[in-house]
Amino acid sequence: MALVADESPSPPLSSVENNFQPFFVLHKASPPRKSAVKTRRRIELSPNAVEDSPEGYNENLRFETLKFLWSRNESTIKEVLKNNNAEVFDKIDKWISESFNSICAYGKLDSTSATRPYPLLDKASISTSVASHQIFTALLCTKNMEFVDDIMTFVDLGAHLRSRGRYVANLTSLDFTAKNGVGGCLKSLLRQFLMVGIDAPDISILASWYTEQGNTGNPMIVIIDDTERCCGAVLTDFIIMLREWFIKIPIILILGVATVDGLRNNLSSNACSYLSLCEFTLGTPAKRMDAVIEAVLMNKSYSFGIGKQVSVFLRNYFLRHDGTLTFFVRALKGIGGESSSLGKNLVKRALELPSSMRFCQSRENRNDCAHGLSELKRLRKLWSSMVMCLYEVGKYHKITLLDLYCDMLEPVPCDSRASDHLQLSKDNSISSYNHHLLGCFQNGGWVNRAIQIVRDLPAVELCKLLKSWEMLTSGINEALTGDPRRRIQTDLLESQKFLKCSCCSKSSGVLSPSMHDTSIMYSLAQEHGDLINLHEWFHSFKEIVSHPRTQAKQRLRLSPSPKKRKACQQPQNQNEASIQARFCRAITELQIAGLLRMPSKRRPDYVQRVAFGL
Amino acid sequence: MESNDVEEEEFGFSRNYFLAKEVRSSGKKGARKLSQINIVDEQELREACSNIEPKHENEIINLVNSYKNSYSEWVYVLRYGFGLLMYGFGSKKALIEDFASTALTDYSVVVINGYLQTINLKQVAITLAELLWDQLKMQWKGASGTKQQPFNTRSMDDLITFLDGPHSENDDTFVCVIVNNIDGPGLRDSETQQYLARIAACSHIRMVASVDHVNALLLWDKKMVHTQFNWYWFHVPTYAPYKVEGMFFPLILAHNGSAQSVKTASIVLQSLTVNAQKVFKVLAEHQLANPDEEGKCLHLILKFAILFYNIIDKENYFHFSFRDAI
Repeated sequence: MALVADESPSPPLSSVENNFQPFFVLHKASPPRKSAVKTRRRIELSPNAVEDSPEGYNENLRFETLKFLWSRNESTIKEVLKNNNAEVFDKIDKWISESFNSICAYGKLDSTSATRPYPLLDKASISTSVASHQIFTALLCTKNMEFVDDIMTFVDLGAHLRSRGRYVANLTSLDFTAKNGVGGCLKSLLRQFLMVGIDAPDISILASWYTEQGNTGNPMIVIIDDTERCCGAVLTDFIIMLREWFIKIPIILILGVATVDGLRNNLSSNACSYLSLCEFTLGTPAKRMDAVIEAVLMNKSYSFGIGKQVSVFLRNYFLRHDGTLTFFVRALKGIGGESSSLGKNLVKRALELPSSMRFCQSRENRNDCAHGLSELKRLRKLWSSMVMCLYEVGKYHKITLLDLYCDMLEPVPCDSRASDHLQLSKDNSISSYNHHLLGCFQNGGWVNRAIQIVRDLPAVELCKLLKSWEMLTSGINEALTGDPRRRIQTDLLESQKFLKCSCCSKSSGVLSPSMHDTSIMYSLAQEHGDLINLHEWFHSFKEIVSHPRTQAKQRLRLSPSPKKRKACQQPQNQNEASIQARFCRAITELQIAGLLRMPSKRRPDYVQRVAFGL
Repeated sequence: MESNDVEEEEFGFSRNYFLAKEVRSSGKKGARKLSQINIVDEQELREACSNIEPKHENEIINLVNSYKNSYSEWVYVLRYGFGLLMYGFGSKKALIEDFASTALTDYSVVVINGYLQTINLKQVAITLAELLWDQLKMQWKGASGTKQQPFNTRSMDDLITFLDGPHSENDDTFVCVIVNNIDGPGLRDSETQQYLARIAACSHIRMVASVDHVNALLLWDKKMVHTQFNWYWFHVPTYAPYKVEGMFFPLILAHNGSAQSVKTASIVLQSLTVNAQKVFKVLAEHQLANPDEEGKCLHLILKFAILFYNIIDKENYFHFSFRDAI
């Protein structure tokens, strides 16, 4: 810890104290430029200040470019997904109108009974039928194992219904927790309908609000997005309560479920019988995925694209690991950022383009001319150059799997064949070099075709692709997701590779005393079973660290035999204490990394290994 | 041959697992006891612990310095809307704080130490809101109608709404939250993680966090990972010792583990009523003020621990005995 602190320009005096604060303010935002005197060092390092340097300027330009392009993509994706659901949304809206008409058909309330602060259930005051005790409920089936893709769907549905003049509240499973009970969801409901936070939520508040508004012409819609994850008991209470107030507050429910059965499993049969269900189904995740790919990657009017391999990788990741569109979209965004940071040389090159130079000359008024049309064109070119590195290896449309495999390990430079698929630019001022670069761009069809090919591949081959991609992307972008379980273990088992020291690297496979203590300990742990005898472990460790290197080299396997130990024991108590302390610290660190469990009362002499294999 | 890689890996995993189980049964016969180690005095052990000679000091400095080249990329990713999640072996506290001190000076930065046992997230949210307010005020300088709002009386929902609010056209206005060990003991429960996720998702907040546990991913569901935290992972092993982070772990070779009892005591303390906790605070302050009476005070604390354990609810009796004992 102190290692870096020593390096930093001005370590805060109270840093030791801060370590034991649950939280603390490291620093406040530096005031806008020129408004305060800062130390020289700070000025050099702050991003604002760097803006004046060409690198900082380029950096900022890159950032703005990317942000701009992505915001276009983001809105496209949103639009596509919305359109994809439009049909279902319209159906739901129609159903709401019909349901509300049937509620109204039960009869209107006179003003006195409407303002009473208790529910109406007596048969005298309303024309009843069995059906009148049922809450109209739409079951919106997502047909999706993962709910994360549908969070926006339900937000969109709410917005769609609001645009039709409905009162809508969106609730989530977090509003239906056993801890907060029915009050929790009621609070959220009042917050959304009345736009105020109420500490003691009561449904009669909602009833009087509804009557006061004079909105007898409009139902109240409550959307619960992830119904299967709601606490069943709270949801049941909520439904029973709504049913009691059914006439005073005409609430219509829209419940998001993965499958119809999910609801029945979660609710009591009693509550189920209070619901008059109508099923709606959203488009499948695969269909949505296709729509997004079509809109973002296949559309020629956007300068956004990903290489074949990247798409294959993402596709495989989607199919085999994550299964969510959300991740896919996020990865697209991440790859945009990644490629722009990878292609620094390309950016440099692009900034030397005549068009770019012109822009740079007039850069003092760059704040004034924000993203005009002509600039958009330039930014698009910049962007095109930046994503080039991703396209460089993905230009062939019809390649065997082996070719693909080799390509990924050893990218092939552009050749003339690629220019067949040249994406023509409107600006003629770009250099021939850049023309060549652009030659590597495919039009949307190739990507589509590549994905199609990949889709038809047998599972084993797909898996191979995925594996090779894992290798290729390791340390670069990992498509945003880390692999702590494997990587932390590798950090420990191959510490010399990361530390790049001269002392330990030579003796590959042999534990040398100079290695990182925790590394030695974890390597030793590999030889034990799921229980590690602390005594043996300690002595193995002690032998390694207290031996000169030459001797340690001779021993490949460690045998904690007592005779050997006797021979090598060093009498210095000081040394013994230090070794024991190092042993303790290594164990603590392994515990922090989650690789060990502490001795139980039953087995005080053993710790438990947690991870087996990488 | 390669096509069997997946199966082989899976086979390898199960083989490792069963081998481990086997070794365990054979290892049991010649089991040695921990007590057979000639353990040094606990005081000496603790002293030795604080004076462990660092290994590979230069290499570690070089490694950590090599990450400084990535600072600009990290800022870039952060401004772009992602949260940074640092993982890899070694304490990343100093690295992340150095990153914040040098590359994030334009933004206010709050550090949460997740390795501590208790963290009040509401207090954190209040601080964040105050910092954001300061930052916004700086931007609106001269504009009228900006009056300070008391944040400490607001509910968590309100605070989160404020942090998420569209206050500024410049979406580069944010407060940065650094969470050392977001998988640490003080933050590990699901409610806290939900709050952290909601805070991270706010438009005026960016989060930089570190994880150390191999199974840290299990803390979050996909909604949290993809839409709220929006993590962008960076593998940054530092091999720096977990000095502060490990402070609350018991020393394995310490007899009976007094540190263990500290942990246990803190759990018991947390389970007490607020009143009871206050009394312990008075006692602790008394002890700090009168270091000479160490023994007496410890004795008192012990006495009270037993007392409270038995009669937590009976506050009258408890008041009486407290005065009595003093």
